[in-house]
Amino acid sequence: MHAVLAAAQTLKAPDLDYFALAPEIVLTAVLVGILLLDVFVDETRKYLVTQVAGLGLLVSLVPVVALAANGADRSMLGGAYVVDNFALLVKALFLATGYVVLLMSSDYIGEGDYYEGEYSFLLLSSLLGMMVMGSSRDLITIFVALELLSIPAYLLAGWRKRDLRSNEACLKYYLLGVLASAVMLYGMSLIFGATGSTVLRTIGREVGGSVGEEPIVTLGIFFIVVGFAFKVSAVPFHFWAPDTYEGAPTPVTAFLSVASKAAGFVALLQLVYIGFFGREEVWGPLFWVLAALTMTVGNLVALRQTNVVRMLAYSSVAQAGYILVPFAVAGSNPAANATAQTAALVYLLIYAAMNLGAFAIVMAVARKTRSAEISSYGGLFTYAPGLTLLMSVFLFSLAGIPPLAGWFAKLYIFESALDAGTAAAVTLAVVAGLNAVIALFYYSAVAKEMWMRPVPDGDTTPIPVPPALAAALAFTAIVVVAVGVYPQAFARLGDLAQLTLR
Amino acid sequence: MTLDGGWYLTLAAVLFTIGAVGLLVRRNVLVMFMCVELMLNAVNLTFVTFARMLDDIGGQALVFFVLVVAAAEVVVGLGIIVSIFRRRGGTTADDLHLLKG
Amino acid sequence: MSAFLRGYLSVLVFGFAAVAMVGAMLGAGRLLRPSRPQPQKYIAYESGVDPVGTGWSQSQVRYYIFALLFVMFDVEAVFIFPWAIRLEALGIFGLVEMLIFIVILALGLVYAWRKGVLRWV
Repeated sequence: MHAVLAAAQTLKAPDLDYFALAPEIVLTAVLVGILLLDVFVDETRKYLVTQVAGLGLLVSLVPVVALAANGADRSMLGGAYVVDNFALLVKALFLATGYVVLLMSSDYIGEGDYYEGEYSFLLLSSLLGMMVMGSSRDLITIFVALELLSIPAYLLAGWRKRDLRSNEACLKYYLLGVLASAVMLYGMSLIFGATGSTVLRTIGREVGGSVGEEPIVTLGIFFIVVGFAFKVSAVPFHFWAPDTYEGAPTPVTAFLSVASKAAGFVALLQLVYIGFFGREEVWGPLFWVLAALTMTVGNLVALRQTNVVRMLAYSSVAQAGYILVPFAVAGSNPAANATAQTAALVYLLIYAAMNLGAFAIVMAVARKTRSAEISSYGGLFTYAPGLTLLMSVFLFSLAGIPPLAGWFAKLYIFESALDAGTAAAVTLAVVAGLNAVIALFYYSAVAKEMWMRPVPDGDTTPIPVPPALAAALAFTAIVVVAVGVYPQAFARLGDLAQLTLR
Repeated sequence: MTLDGGWYLTLAAVLFTIGAVGLLVRRNVLVMFMCVELMLNAVNLTFVTFARMLDDIGGQALVFFVLVVAAAEVVVGLGIIVSIFRRRGGTTADDLHLLKG
Repeated sequence: MSAFLRGYLSVLVFGFAAVAMVGAMLGAGRLLRPSRPQPQKYIAYESGVDPVGTGWSQSQVRYYIFALLFVMFDVEAVFIFPWAIRLEALGIFGLVEMLIFIVILALGLVYAWRKGVLRWV
């Protein structure tokens, strides 16, 4: 006990780098602001809260850009909180995703009988957790960030309080979410016990050394990876995802399937590349199995869906499988590591744009048809050619057809597998290739419905798209097309944002 | 007689397993909820034991965060359960079958 | 008088002060209040709930929201204890940080108050 007491005696105020913390500080101030605004503004002017929240997200982007321009890596609290290019890139991703989701939801939430102010508040709280996750290089910080992003997300999933399906979505997400947290925490406790530290860099050193051979480390890594497998809805820990995605309000589904999943992957990247790097024989095969299962099961089940939201839910399960491929092949040689990391990051960025876009279209169409059945998309081209075109762009990008961004993302995944060059990696690349072909079937089924089938009820009045939703669509579409045409932009970002090992 | 850390770790592992099994086999949402708490407290016990064995304050600090976060989770979870209970007067996981994965 | 006993003198003074305080308050209450004895008034007070009954008795559902609020705010105190012990070493920095923490917590209470959660409907 003496060392503990001695440590407590010498405890001093930590040195904080306020510039490095600026994005989070701004976001916290915005959170406080919108909470007060929501509480003191009357019912008819609640839209102000959403507007201030959107503005706040853009303002928090300013320090992120300033930090990126400054370029120096900043580390504080003994390496527990690091602001480097990786952290800044994912923070920018989360803020952009949050802004697009807010654009998508402003009319949806305003029109329904929902609590408008609290919605923005919870969304921004969750985003704050994700921002912290980008910089977390310590088990405690990762855990707190994960819970900060998850707890508001549980509530958002149940936002339609009077809808039984939304209740059910919420409860399933909650129970499995806390189970995942508990499993992950147990893994963290074992890792802490074996290495004597919660800082990832120290853990990385220990795990790479003789401590890494102990079975307790293997068990710890296993538990942590399984915990995060729940969060990123990897098969066989995916069963909550389709139900939650279908029951939750559509903008929330978009948020969960993009931002929350990306946050899980960001945490995994940090854990694997900094903390557990020395034990690739433990996590390598684990990720291999997860990736292969996730891709295959996600795609095969998506084939049978008749509801667009459920289809997109299974498709996002399958997409998570592709992102797991670089994890499975990392660690075999230094060149492959660099490609694997870039591949995972680039895929996350591109996946965010195309998936958000697809969900925005689903919302636009549902404004008229009040349905998310694939059959209700029949003849969409005859009365909403613009939406049809955009939906086709997003679907074919998700399928990985050139020259759209999704193609480039998949190419990078294959490159990472082939760079690794081992038999296992090449097999996984083949599995991924087969899956890309399966995926084409169900994506093109929706496209066929839109372009070729007749309108089911003969109602061909055009769909009015509110300006905010149109802005979200325009933004995501531009990213998908521009990155497809000029992929070097994102590749460069991915290369710059490498996590430094050890 | 003082027990060495191994016993505490074993106890924590047993508690964690009981919680995990309970969560998977019980159908009452409130009981499932208690099982999660049991798992989290097993984790806390592990952390405290290791912190004591290693003379490192980090583990104890983490327990504080786990405690607070668990309380936040409980509040959110109970809120969800009460809002469902209002709509359907029963809280078994089997009642929730509108969405089939 | 030895220093040892002098140490206990303050305890003694505190003890007397405490007893006197209780006596003064009860006495003042007895002088001021009207006396209307009813049998219910002699039941042991337990937050307004009937203290005798089965273990499965139901309690008023309105308590649950207060219980939730209590759990939330109660547990946050766990961060204040270690801070209080090291207050001097942490100095102004610690004071400001803890103020920010408590203000953010208080905002939660403001929210609950404005939403009418604290009213007994």
